[in-house]
Amino acid sequence: MTSLETRAAVTVGAPKRARRAKAFDPEKRRSSLLTVLLWLGVAYFILPLWWLLVSSTKDNQALFTTFGLWFGGDFSFFENLQTLFTVRGGIFTRWLLNTVLYAGAAAVGATLLSAMAGYAFAKYDFPGRKALFSATLGAIMIPLTALALPTYLLFSQAGLTNTPWAIIIPSLVSPFGVYLMRVYSADAIPDELIEAARVDGAGEFRIFWQVGLRLLGPALVTVFLFALVGTWNNYFLPLIMLNSSDLYPITVGLAQLQAAANAGGGSQALFSTVITGSFISIVPLIIAFLFLQRYWQSGLATGSVKG
Amino acid sequence: MSQSPALAAERHPTAPARRGNANKRRQNRAAYLFILPFFLVFLTMLVIPLMYAGYLSLFESKLIGGEQFAWFANYIRAIQDSAFIGSLLRMGLFFIVQVPIMLGLALLFALALDSGRARGAKGVRLLVFMPYAVPAVVATLMWGYLYGPDFGPLAQVARAVGWGTPDFLSAGNILGSMMNIVTWEFVGYNMIIMYAALRAIPSDLYEAAEIDGAGQFRIAWSIKIPAIRPAIILTVIFSIIGTFQLFAEPSLLNAIAPDAITRSFTPNYYAYNLAFQNRELNYAASIAFLLGIVIAVLSYAFQLATERRERRALTETETPS
Amino acid sequence: MKKARKTALALVTGAATVGLVLTGCAPSGGGDGGTTSDAITDEQREEALNTPTDLTFWTWVPDIENEVALFEEQYPAINVTVENVGQGLEHYQKLRSALEAGEGAPDVAQVEYQYIPSFVLTESLLDLTPYGADGIADDYVGWAWNQVSPNEEVWAVPQDVGPMGNLYREDILSEAGIAEAPETWDDYAAAAKAVKDETGSYISNLGATQAGQMIGFMWQAGVQPFTYDGAETVGIDVNNDTAKEVANYWTELIQQDLISVDTDFSDQWYQGLANGKYAGWLTAAWGPIFLQGTAESTSGLWRAAPLPQWSAGEQVSGNWGGSSDAVLATSENPIAAYELAKFINHDEESAMKLATEQFLYPPQLSVLENPDFIDQESEFYGGQQVNKLFADISETVDTDFQWVPFMEYVYSTYEETIGSVVAEKGDIAAALDEWQDQLVSYAEGQGFTVE
Repeated sequence: MTSLETRAAVTVGAPKRARRAKAFDPEKRRSSLLTVLLWLGVAYFILPLWWLLVSSTKDNQALFTTFGLWFGGDFSFFENLQTLFTVRGGIFTRWLLNTVLYAGAAAVGATLLSAMAGYAFAKYDFPGRKALFSATLGAIMIPLTALALPTYLLFSQAGLTNTPWAIIIPSLVSPFGVYLMRVYSADAIPDELIEAARVDGAGEFRIFWQVGLRLLGPALVTVFLFALVGTWNNYFLPLIMLNSSDLYPITVGLAQLQAAANAGGGSQALFSTVITGSFISIVPLIIAFLFLQRYWQSGLATGSVKG
Repeated sequence: MSQSPALAAERHPTAPARRGNANKRRQNRAAYLFILPFFLVFLTMLVIPLMYAGYLSLFESKLIGGEQFAWFANYIRAIQDSAFIGSLLRMGLFFIVQVPIMLGLALLFALALDSGRARGAKGVRLLVFMPYAVPAVVATLMWGYLYGPDFGPLAQVARAVGWGTPDFLSAGNILGSMMNIVTWEFVGYNMIIMYAALRAIPSDLYEAAEIDGAGQFRIAWSIKIPAIRPAIILTVIFSIIGTFQLFAEPSLLNAIAPDAITRSFTPNYYAYNLAFQNRELNYAASIAFLLGIVIAVLSYAFQLATERRERRALTETETPS
Repeated sequence: MKKARKTALALVTGAATVGLVLTGCAPSGGGDGGTTSDAITDEQREEALNTPTDLTFWTWVPDIENEVALFEEQYPAINVTVENVGQGLEHYQKLRSALEAGEGAPDVAQVEYQYIPSFVLTESLLDLTPYGADGIADDYVGWAWNQVSPNEEVWAVPQDVGPMGNLYREDILSEAGIAEAPETWDDYAAAAKAVKDETGSYISNLGATQAGQMIGFMWQAGVQPFTYDGAETVGIDVNNDTAKEVANYWTELIQQDLISVDTDFSDQWYQGLANGKYAGWLTAAWGPIFLQGTAESTSGLWRAAPLPQWSAGEQVSGNWGGSSDAVLATSENPIAAYELAKFINHDEESAMKLATEQFLYPPQLSVLENPDFIDQESEFYGGQQVNKLFADISETVDTDFQWVPFMEYVYSTYEETIGSVVAEKGDIAAALDEWQDQLVSYAEGQGFTVE
């Protein structure tokens, strides 16, 4: 911090400096101290993930006898993987597929619904527009998790609990997605383009599909990814909605395996299996974020500036 | 709502050319069709459950004697229920302590990255963000191991340097341990929101200041932070919502620290336990409903409180984007 | 909107009921709890077992598919789906949810003894008497049968039990100069001091929040904390003088730091058993094998003994854990469902498998008398016949112990009132009063008559 601080102290209220040329190119003025501090901060965020990676290579014995932050004991990663994918008739694969299905369907659905609504809010001036948009914004503040319980009660009245729908449908609502889409549409889709398309005789839906969606790219990716994460990581909703372990997503399944490891009785000490399962479960999302970072970062930029 | 900063920043769509009522009606119909699917789900998944919770909360059900209409008995019970009030206060404390730390860290990271003065900034950004992609279930599980008093690496390191064994899972420390987990999970997310907002500040705004010799701290404090105030407010509101509905963390920590995590550790966990352990669904519904109100009121109150300053800040730094 | 929904719902339920009545698929009127129905004839049983039928069985016993396979082999027409929806509380929550939703509930479900009354209360269990269950009563140890059949009705078939004993490290105790397992609780307290002073180990660990263990100790001491008449009257008496004596005994040992209070079944507790932090474990009959899997490295050092007694020369024990298989009243195939529950826990081969492969401690006399089971010598326990020891202990468990129909609440408040006090080494007896108050006020609030 010192270099920054001294500079601040020196420059506050000081007369203009002669180093203008450099000031225009901050890229050139790297601070080693800042770099070190930042990377120390990064260590905190990486530490648990590093522990997870290391631990997924250990068997139960080594898990409790070797130092947690370094490799030790036999390299058991592949044995753990094998146990993971064979325990209880290979149900882990099932959980993975369920998660992909729920999160994928919910994310695609939420993105589409948000895009349509956001586009309409941005590009049409229809009666009730303001009131409806205000309602949407207000809904950002409704705690979805707290609503899970009433939703569950409602679903159980309708006989919809214990079906994939019970997970997918509630995850389709994304007021923040609508908001983001609206802001992004207002910026990214020129009115002239829409007007031109209308003059050419295109219908409103064709305009949305062929003109609108194409220009909404980054926002679509952003809403998609965040809806994906939201559903992928959801624990409460599937926990209360589902009664059949064949329908569990990975979060509920892992928690169940962990509970079995902790509860004894059946004498299945699955600690290393649960850890390996946790590791596997986060890989797909991290990859998705890595590969799509260019899109979601620019999509989010629009939303947060206006937010 | 219409006074919210979010709305204040919104732009009016360009009014469509007046081209006869038929056209206008056709477009209105299209617009309604566009928003219909969203509002259908919105209604069934948000509004109706909310109303349903409100409806259920007016009944009382007993294991013996069944269900009967009870007016506001559940609410009267709730506001006298020390477990529920305690959980709200605990989350209030959580909010006051954890959220400033989390958002402060996020802001520091965002400003540091934006200053362009650190090496490997791109890597830093991604790695700090990464915990967001980790499910709360997995995050809690990992930290649970890291906290372990005998085999947890943190305790091992602490012992090795002679600090004794820290008891992260005791009744007195568990709230702090949970704050750490949540901080770990969400600094990156908030950082990205703020960073994105920082990148969108036109650089000529502060380049001028730099030329004038203003230091980075001064630029950050007087130019950058005011400019991204809307983004910061957004993160605070998300944090209010997130804090008061914590569930996965307490419910998983309960397995390793059952004496420290009470059934009413967080309001949401309490509602869950009421519904499924006490089998008091109606009372649980009133807790969920009250919780929703508390969150909405807090978020709204926060917006109102910041609004005036907010609007001034906006007009000062308003820029085309 | 709401009204329409309700009406539609009523229509659907109505139609479903009519459908059930029309098809007449439940010969005994299986839906009504079955308390008044006539006995099932052999003919009906034959027919049911030869009709292609799908059954669902919820249980968390690992690999129970092996026993189920024996059943399916014998009755090829019947296809059983085994589901593990979670363990303990989670399992019951799912079960209750499914029952409330009116669909998705299994035909047969594992239910621990203490939770049977809660399902009886909601009329969710099928009375198995008409299906012939009273005929097998004498094939089980008496106290276990009383757990599934406190009155006339039979609510489930016992699967396994947990009469309590004392597992201890012979090497650590003899290092502290103790040659024999402590006979009385006074001896045990003295031994605890010797062990701590000489070796630094705790003689055992009392799981801070482990209600089952503490209730087991009370059971042994003759405390009758809960009663339930099967209808609307419960008795709650967790803070009587005897219960407080038990509580004071533990308070003292804990406050002298002679007993540790770690959360049990946690990873560090596992390690404590393996590395000698604890020189023993006061546990149930399912404990020996469990320990064997957990503390492999200490094989041969362990011994098993009965629980210490309150007065010398006595021989009594309590129970901790164990479960039964019940048929749900909603089952559309109650005959086949009962036959499954019975077969798993009654057929000699299946019961023997449960005892020797899943290591569930048997309540079935056929297994308890089988030399292949009781004469087994266990290397882990220095060649001791551990099964025989626990078979003898099982004879000494008080037979009339009962539960209340809201044990989830009882256990969760235990964690809060007693668990936190134990963890902080406070006065357990005082916490019993608090626990009692909470339980009584909950029971009254729920409309029970409390005695």
